[in-house]
Amino acid sequence: MPDLLTVSPSPHIRNGITTRRINIDVIIAMLPALVWAVYVFGFRSLFVVLVSVASCVIFEALFELVVRRPVTVLDFSAVISGILLGFNLPATVPLWIPIAGGAFAMIVAKGVFGGLGKNIVNPVLAARVFLFSWTRVINTFSKPFSALPVFSFSLEEADIVASATPLSAMKNGGLPDFSLVDMFLGTKSGCIGEVSAILIAVGGIYLLIRKVISWHIPVTYLGTVMLLTFIFPPSGTDALQFMLYQVSSGGLILAAFFMATDYVTSPTTPTGKMIFGIGCGAITVFIRYFGGYPEGVSFSILIMNLLVGYIDKLTKPKRFGGVPKNAKQ
Amino acid sequence: MPALIEIIISVPEHGKAGYSQSVFHRKGIDRQVSSRGLPLVADDMAYSFRGGTHVREHKITRKSPIEKMTAPPVVYIPMSQNIGAMCTPLVAVGDRVLKGQKIGDVENALGCPVHSSVSGTVKEIRETVNPTGQKNKVVVIENDFEEAVSDEVIPFAKTIQETSTEEIVDWIRKSGISGMGGASFPTYAKISSAIGKVDTMIINCAECEPYITANHRLLLEDPKSVLNGAKIIMKALKLRTATFAVEDNKFDAVHEIDNAIGRSKLFKVAIMKTKYPQGDERQLIFAITGKEIPQGKLPADVGCVVFNAETCAAVYRAFSTGMPLIERIVTVSGDCLKEPKNLLVLIGTPYSDLVEFCGGFKREPEKIINGGPMMGMAQWDINAPVTRGTSAVLFLSGRENRKYNQPENCIKCGRCVRACPMHLMPNYIVAYTKLLDFGEAENYGAMSCVECGSCSYNCPAHIPIVQYIKVAKNTIRASKSAAPKN
Repeated sequence: MPDLLTVSPSPHIRNGITTRRINIDVIIAMLPALVWAVYVFGFRSLFVVLVSVASCVIFEALFELVVRRPVTVLDFSAVISGILLGFNLPATVPLWIPIAGGAFAMIVAKGVFGGLGKNIVNPVLAARVFLFSWTRVINTFSKPFSALPVFSFSLEEADIVASATPLSAMKNGGLPDFSLVDMFLGTKSGCIGEVSAILIAVGGIYLLIRKVISWHIPVTYLGTVMLLTFIFPPSGTDALQFMLYQVSSGGLILAAFFMATDYVTSPTTPTGKMIFGIGCGAITVFIRYFGGYPEGVSFSILIMNLLVGYIDKLTKPKRFGGVPKNAKQ
Repeated sequence: MPALIEIIISVPEHGKAGYSQSVFHRKGIDRQVSSRGLPLVADDMAYSFRGGTHVREHKITRKSPIEKMTAPPVVYIPMSQNIGAMCTPLVAVGDRVLKGQKIGDVENALGCPVHSSVSGTVKEIRETVNPTGQKNKVVVIENDFEEAVSDEVIPFAKTIQETSTEEIVDWIRKSGISGMGGASFPTYAKISSAIGKVDTMIINCAECEPYITANHRLLLEDPKSVLNGAKIIMKALKLRTATFAVEDNKFDAVHEIDNAIGRSKLFKVAIMKTKYPQGDERQLIFAITGKEIPQGKLPADVGCVVFNAETCAAVYRAFSTGMPLIERIVTVSGDCLKEPKNLLVLIGTPYSDLVEFCGGFKREPEKIINGGPMMGMAQWDINAPVTRGTSAVLFLSGRENRKYNQPENCIKCGRCVRACPMHLMPNYIVAYTKLLDFGEAENYGAMSCVECGSCSYNCPAHIPIVQYIKVAKNTIRASKSAAPKN
């Protein structure tokens, strides 16, 4: 007969899911795109991602030690941030860029707000926008399959065969040099994790099947961008072609599956998620058409992040049985 | 079987053999059915509701027939076993009591009498505390194993046809029957409050809680008594039909019920999707009728009434034998027991005797739970007795649960929002409760929470969500009763 019994409130069983398990699924989902990046940009891209992961993990742990919070790097959320930050950088960046970006993401955008779950904006996108301050290094893209030195801290100008990204080509009017097949497969210039639309979508579908994310944000986000670019193509371009180029370029698909769906900085209700996705899509297109930067994805998600609390409040589900009349409102 | 029951069972026969009319077809689409009109496999046509979660079933005793447990040497009979007032003991220490004898009753209040489940001597009348923290009195009776039955126990003498509603209600009250699904609302009070107000009666055989198989076994082994009890209640409520609600993980039970129904037009069977908390009467009524019970209202307010299957069987036994409710089916299960079983147990049997009967422990339990693991109450005493509401006693080791004791930060994944059968946002209720902003917690529907545990079950951060909401509810309730009435 037992001497000591645990008395605690129900429920007494759990389904066993953990934050770490969810994060591991997200990491698995990003691997295809990472492997492709190594194929297209060489091991330099893997090295940049690894530096970025190390930076995020180390800065999160350091910050938590300094402010005497439990160290939470084992939940792997810093690893995800690191991979995504690396994905958002070109393979040609000097290594101080991912290091500084990791520090900004983990300390300024996440740590000071209280750590995991408490941040208002997506740390990776905040860091990316912070790094936009170094426009030239951030926007130097190499041609696909140009051999880059793997381990050097910063690359010499001579090492880089620079290439315009599809988005900047479209910004200057007209369509990119790459074919649509290149665009979707990912044999084009761009950031490390952004190039292969198809492999990112494969990862996204894995997350959908594992029920880590729901369809609401990716579908409404991509759908809004497709709709708007199809209705409003620049004069002289084929609407369908322009739409497909727009969807497959920049970080749109990566963001739609991996960054706009970040739990902490997106709404919790299905309707809210759809509003969030539509908002992201509309702002992305607006910036791509009228903004100074060729890319609007990061800004659009950051802006929508700020509205998440209000969206949740607006889309509170209708209560089962309704609200009693005498309840205080 | 006594004659009175025979009469109500022989109902007019209509149509040809074949039972498809007794099984619901949702949206008019034909299921894959047997020649007898019963669905063969679980399909999307089953009745359901939005929210909820598929909980791992752990129904390890589903194939174990109900065993009658040997009578314990001592029974501990609590005076408060159901919602309502506590009974006053009618016996004194040293009295000899007989099986079925009334030993406690309530005057002029909600509640029903309690009876001795054995014959023997009253050893002690003990003051104890319920797991809910309320004071209770327990009559301790030493069993003399003579099985001497009280002369109060006489079968109901009239045929049901010529019996009035009042007589049925009185007999059910006299027999001490309260809801046996867990909530333990006195059945006579449920019937009398529903008279004239309801048009839909549902017999709840959903049994959505993990581990529990008491209703499932009852339906397999003795569907007739459930059916007959339901007919008595239908007579009291003057209803022409009732619906059995069974989850689609129990197709064998569906077949047994369908066989028992035969060609009767009195009953239908609704196949429910296996999803927790399908057995909550709010979700059950919504799934079958599409009606939502407003907060603070009863099923009767939307014209429905729900009875647990075993409650119906108890009603039948009370009429056919006259024996009040002194025993019930208990699923004794959990990963600590050597031989988990479904047992027919005398009310007042201590849990320790159940363990002994089930071969003892194979590992030390960390939690003993009265009821299912989702909503059951953890007990601190292994000698706590089985009561009328005890559908299961579970002995769980901490192996699965210990690692979830450390809550992490909420990552706002929204799993609780998706799982909530009341369509609330548990994450926000928790957040506002942490801020002690109970007004906002109430705006987010804290008072509508039914504490089913679907949110906590699915939380990847292991936040005790239900516990936070309970704190909010209690605080809101306390502040309401403290506020001056104007």
